[in-house]
Amino acid sequence: MSHSTLKNLSLAATMALAFASTSALAETTINIAGWGAKSGPLRSFGVNSEAVMKAAVARVNETGGIKLKDGSKAKLAFKYHDSACNAEQAIAVARKVASESNALVGIGPTCSGAAAAMFGVFQKKVGDAGDTGLQFPILTDTAVRNGLAKISQWTFRNTPNEPDMYDKLWAWVAANHPNLKTIYGGTETDQGHSNGTYSKVIVQAATRHGFKWSKGNIEGLSGKLASGFKNVLASSSNWLQADTNFSVQARAFRRSGADIYIISSHPFTTCGMLKELKRQRATPKLLIGLTSSSSQEVMKGCAAEAEGMIIPTSFAPITDMAKEVAALANKNGGDADLHSAAAWENVMIIKQVMESVGVTGQASMVQKERRMIRDGLEALTTTNGLIGKVTRVQDEGEALKPYVFVQAKAGNWVVIHDPR
Amino acid sequence: MEYYLGITQTIGVHTLLGLSAYVLLLTGQLSLAQVGFFAIGSYVSGILTVIFGWHILPALLVGALVAGFFAFLVGFPALRVKGLMLVVATIAFSEIVRLVFFNVNWRVEVNGLEVGPDSTQGFREIRYFAANGWEQAHVVLLIWLIVILVMVLLWWLDKVRAGAVLRAVGEDELAAQSSGVNLTMVKVAAMTGGGVIAGIAGGLFAHSTTYVDHHTFSILLATFAVSYPILGGLKNVLGTLMAVIFIQGFIIEGLRFMGDYRNILFGLLIIVAMNFRPQGLVDGNFTSDLRKLLRMNQKRGGIDA
Repeated sequence: MSHSTLKNLSLAATMALAFASTSALAETTINIAGWGAKSGPLRSFGVNSEAVMKAAVARVNETGGIKLKDGSKAKLAFKYHDSACNAEQAIAVARKVASESNALVGIGPTCSGAAAAMFGVFQKKVGDAGDTGLQFPILTDTAVRNGLAKISQWTFRNTPNEPDMYDKLWAWVAANHPNLKTIYGGTETDQGHSNGTYSKVIVQAATRHGFKWSKGNIEGLSGKLASGFKNVLASSSNWLQADTNFSVQARAFRRSGADIYIISSHPFTTCGMLKELKRQRATPKLLIGLTSSSSQEVMKGCAAEAEGMIIPTSFAPITDMAKEVAALANKNGGDADLHSAAAWENVMIIKQVMESVGVTGQASMVQKERRMIRDGLEALTTTNGLIGKVTRVQDEGEALKPYVFVQAKAGNWVVIHDPR
Repeated sequence: MEYYLGITQTIGVHTLLGLSAYVLLLTGQLSLAQVGFFAIGSYVSGILTVIFGWHILPALLVGALVAGFFAFLVGFPALRVKGLMLVVATIAFSEIVRLVFFNVNWRVEVNGLEVGPDSTQGFREIRYFAANGWEQAHVVLLIWLIVILVMVLLWWLDKVRAGAVLRAVGEDELAAQSSGVNLTMVKVAAMTGGGVIAGIAGGLFAHSTTYVDHHTFSILLATFAVSYPILGGLKNVLGTLMAVIFIQGFIIEGLRFMGDYRNILFGLLIIVAMNFRPQGLVDGNFTSDLRKLLRMNQKRGGIDA
C-alpha cells in the first residue's frame, strides 16, 4: 500500500469518526430505568417486565422518540436492574438510579414487600422541606398489594384494582351460575398479596353476592372489605409459598363439599394445589383463582389441572395492540401478562407525560424535570391501556384498569366475559 | 452519593448482625437465633418510633434490651444442647419469633394515618429518619458510630480476661470448666450480648429500610449472620467487617449485573474462600502483618525522600 493511500485512508477514517461523534453529540437521549426480580424464585416476573419494557422503548424510538420542549426529538433509553425480591436491594437500586444516573423516572419493582420498603424511603409529601426522602418519580408495573402508592406522593402504580375486579367477578358468577351456592378456599398465608386479597377481598366479595361458606357461617364476615378476615383465614385450608405437599389441604377442600373452590396463590403453589386436587379427585363445579395466576406460568406448569379455572385479569391478548405486545414480549424472551403488560403501558404513559410537560434532556435539568414528570403523572385522569382506558385515582397514585374474566381452556387463557 | 451512603448503611447494619453471631461463635455456639433477636429489635424500636413517637435513640436502646432479654431466656435452654442440636433449637426460636410477628396486628391512627404492624402485610412507614430531616450522611454516621463502638468493645473484650474466658470456652469447654470457668454464666452472657447487638442492628435495619415483614427474618438472613464471622475469621472483629464488605458490597451490589449468576458465584466464592483461607479472611496475624506492611512503607518512604 502506498504512502498516499494510507494517508487518504486515515483521513477518511478520521472524518468518519468525527462525523460519528458529532452525530452522537447531536442526538439527545432520555433515560428511564426499570427494576424488579431477575433473580430468585420470582425471576420470571422481572424477565417478563424487562422483555415488555424493551419492546415498548423500541416502539417509542421507531416512532420518532420523545418530542422535547424545543420541538426536537430524543431517543429513549432504558436500563433494567435486578433488585431480586428484596427490600434492601430495591432501595439500593432506587438510590443508585436516583443519584448515579440521569434517569427521569423509574418502573418497578416486582414484589409488594420490596415496593413497600422502597416507597418508604421516598419523600412522603412533595415539597416537604423537612422530609429528606428520595425525590424521584416511580410508576410501578407489578407490585399489586393494596394501597402501596399512598406511601409517597412520588410513587404511582398502574396495577389492577382487585376489590373492584372480584366484586364484578362474583356478581357475574352469581348471574351466570345461579345453581352454585357454596364456597371454600385457601391461600398461601405467608404471601402478603395472596393472603390479603383472599382474606380481605375475595371471600368478602363472594359473601356480598350471596355465596355461603360451605362449612357454616364465619364470624364477623359481613361482605364488607376485610370484615372477619382473621376468621376467614382460620376457617380456610391454607399453605405456604414454599410448600410442595398439599395433600391435607386438598382433602379439606374435597371434604368441604363446596360448589366453588377459591385458590388464592401465585402460579407455583397454585399448580401444586391443583395437581393434588386432581389426584384426590376433588371436583368442584367452579374454580376461582388469584389475579397473579392468570399467567403463562400456570399454563406451562399445570394446564390440564387448571382447566376451567376463572380469574379476573387486566391483560389478555384481546385487542390488536395487546396481541402485538404479547408477540413482542415472546420475541424478547418473556411473556406479557397482567403484571408485565403494564410495563408497556407505563412506557407509553411516561412518553405522553414527558411530551406534555416538555422535558429538555439536559443533564442540568434532571432534578427539575423529575419533579415535572411527577406532577404530570399526578395530573393524569385517564391513560390508554392495552385493553382499554385506564382511570387514574387522583391523590392516591393508583389506577382503575379495565379487565376481563379469563378461563383456562385447553392450555390457554380464554376470555369468557368482557365487561369493558 | 446517596447510593454509596446507602450501601455503607447496609454494610454497617449487617456488620452488627455478624458481630452478634461472632460473640457466640467465640464460645463455640453456632446460633441461628440472631435473626430472631434482630426481628425483635426491629419491631420493638419500630413500634416505639412509629406508634409512640419516641426519639430513635431510646427506641433503639429499648429494642436492644428487649432482644437481649429474650436472648438471656434462650441462653438457658440453649445450654443443654450443642452443635447441630443448638442450630436446630435456635432455628426453632427464630421461626417462633417470625411467626409471632407474622400474626401481630396492631394498627393505630397517628396523624390521620393508620400505622403499625399489619400481620402478613408487614409493618410500613417506619420513616423516622426521613420524616425528621435526617440526611443520609447522618444515618450513616449514627450506624457507624454504633458499629465502631461495638467493635471497639469487642476488641477490648478480647484483650482482657473476659475475652480469654470466652475463647477458652469455645476452644475446650471441659478444660475451661476444669479451670473454674462458670460455663452457664459465660454462655448465657454471650447469648445475651449477642442478642443486644442483634437487637440494635434490627432497630437500625427497620428504620433504614422503613418496612419489615416476616419474609425479612428468614433462615437466609440467619445464615448470613453466621456466615459473616465464619468467613471473616474469629481471630479479629475486623474479619466480620471484611466478610460483610465482601458479601454485601462486592457480591450483592458489585455483581448485580450478573442477575441469577451472582447466587451461584456467591456459593462458589464462599467455597474458594474457605478453602484458601480456612481460618477466615482475617486471621490472627492480620494486625501484625498490617503493622509490618505499614513499617515497610514508612521505611521505603524515608529512603525515597
